[in-house]
Amino acid sequence: MADDNTQSREDARTDGGVTTDSYLDKEINIFKPATPFMRDHLRVIWLSFAAWVVVVFGPTTAVLIESLWLETSVMTETTILGGFPLHFFLAAIVTPLGALVLSVGYAMQRDRLDTRYGISHEDGGAGGTDPDADTDADSDSDTVAADGGAK
Amino acid sequence: MIELLEPFVLQETALDVGEFKLVPALTVAAMLALFLGVGYFFRVAAVDDLWVAGRSIGAVENGMAIGANWMSAASYLGVASIIALSGYFGLAYVVGWTTGYFILLIFLAAQFRRFGKYTAPDFVGDRFYSDWARGIAAFTTLAIAFTYAIGQASGMGLMAQYIFGISYEMGVIVLMGVTIGYVALSGMLGTTKNMAIQYVILIIAFTIGLYAVGWSQGWSTVLPYFEFGSEVAAAAEIEAQFVEPFADGSYYAWIALAFSLIVGTCGLPHVLVRFYTVENERTARWSTVWGLFFICLLYWGTATYAAWGGLLYDSEVTGGGGFADMLPIEADALVVLTAQLAELPTWLVGLVAAGAVAAALATTAGLFISASSAAAHDIYTNLYKENATQREQMLVGRVTILGIGILVTLIGLNPPALIGELVAMSFAIAGTVFFPVFFLGLWWENTTKEGALAGMLTGILLSFGAILNDTAIPMYTGVEDAVIPALATWLPGTSSALVGVPVVFGVIIVVSIVTDNPPQHVKRLVRQCHSPEPMSQTESAEDAANGGAPADD
Repeated sequence: MADDNTQSREDARTDGGVTTDSYLDKEINIFKPATPFMRDHLRVIWLSFAAWVVVVFGPTTAVLIESLWLETSVMTETTILGGFPLHFFLAAIVTPLGALVLSVGYAMQRDRLDTRYGISHEDGGAGGTDPDADTDADSDSDTVAADGGAK
Repeated sequence: MIELLEPFVLQETALDVGEFKLVPALTVAAMLALFLGVGYFFRVAAVDDLWVAGRSIGAVENGMAIGANWMSAASYLGVASIIALSGYFGLAYVVGWTTGYFILLIFLAAQFRRFGKYTAPDFVGDRFYSDWARGIAAFTTLAIAFTYAIGQASGMGLMAQYIFGISYEMGVIVLMGVTIGYVALSGMLGTTKNMAIQYVILIIAFTIGLYAVGWSQGWSTVLPYFEFGSEVAAAAEIEAQFVEPFADGSYYAWIALAFSLIVGTCGLPHVLVRFYTVENERTARWSTVWGLFFICLLYWGTATYAAWGGLLYDSEVTGGGGFADMLPIEADALVVLTAQLAELPTWLVGLVAAGAVAAALATTAGLFISASSAAAHDIYTNLYKENATQREQMLVGRVTILGIGILVTLIGLNPPALIGELVAMSFAIAGTVFFPVFFLGLWWENTTKEGALAGMLTGILLSFGAILNDTAIPMYTGVEDAVIPALATWLPGTSSALVGVPVVFGVIIVVSIVTDNPPQHVKRLVRQCHSPEPMSQTESAEDAANGGAPADD
């Protein structure tokens, strides 16, 4: 199937150990990942998304919860770093920083996933319009045909 | 102290607008000359170069371009303004305009790069195999560019007042004229190179101003972002609403605004184009990370400026009378005003003002490029004249830039809202109309043409309706309140996406389920966007999934 095809490509971009499956035949649905790669990728996506929701909406929601039900005011009365109310500091500085840290985390994790699936983008970037690009396009098309045939 | 006013200045303002300032004017002139020079040096003639810069841009450079493209007068001037006036509510702008990049990164950036076309309408038209969808997307792109650019015109006018000592109106006309000429001359390759330069200029100007104010007032040393706590406390003593969580907007309003700005980030056509210009999908991811970092460098300083500006306004302008009542035109110039009230030298205040001009210019350029490609590429060539020559396309593109530029200038002479609010409205449109079709288009292959059409039309109805209701109609009928006040509470023009996005998602999903599945070649296109297989630099998902030897089905 597609595995053979992928591994038989002469350039060093996909250097073995890869199971990309016949990805052009598998349905794309965010709730039903159909290939191992999609499953792994979506796990990273959903976990970091959950963390992001807490970072972004958590502080303001905590303020609301405190004022409505808890009758405390830890978020608004606590002061840090010489006078910031906690909620103000979280929203103004920490939340953007949190999103940045999560982004770095995601991009690194995604690179790790690339390594695990033997994907390299490095020489793809230098290609431009050289003959190499044509070779790639051809081998991709072959993959398509082979996948279609194997259905 | 309030300065004595020259006769041609219409409104009293604490900003020193009376006279022509030589060094700041030279700074702006040198900056513009640099941009035009770079634009000329990297000028383009081919369509591929005009719109996606030959797909050759690297991660850090693209990150800077993302930053410059992104940070307009709304970020540079508008956010500090809204925080000073609305306190904690204004922080929803900081949160919304930074953290949205994460959603863009994990769900959309690399997939867009793999899709590999030219514009947002291109994506919509190809993914939803419909020229109608393409046309609606092109129309929305034009509307977004238009709304967004009004805020920039307003910021340019304010800065021109300070720098050149000319009236606000003259300032809008002169600087918008420069912008139009600049975009028409240079195109995207020139603009991408320029955007990196513009980012460097604007971040240096903003940050030097911040550090200088902190040092001159003895408020901060090395990291002002963590050192303005006592000034926040002092500002809260003067105006309690500065830190009170829900004084200027309810919890709902805060969340709705942050949400709208986040999904708007993911739906903006001129942001999306930045991913089409990079080498490969990995570059697309890392340039998003770099872009967010470069954006945060400025956003961390906005609350700082707001607290410091508020204190200085209280002591220098109103003499202890607070700062919440400052005029809108003062608030929108607060970053520059803070530097001026801290009695920094004129050249330094001028540099801060020049940074704001760079911010406004860079974003407007990006917007005009996306508008011109929507008109020339998506409407003129794809819908009207299939065999249009490149020369014709360039001509249509440039006429569009000119037309939109003139319209924006006219509305910008008397803007209907604060800079930040104007820009937020364009985000609400982008979030409501584009985000659902982008997201579902990439993540659910069974999203159909009919679903996308119904969803986009619903989105247009909701987001445009909200703006008409609480801003556009009241402004031009002279009535203070919204046409339907209850609607304005739940569906504000700046934050209509919290209601709009779920509704549009629902419409798209329901309509897609009851209509026929998309054709096989479209499904393959979607699958190709998610496949782990690397693609070559110039290849689009269409080529890879369906091109060359046809598959046997």
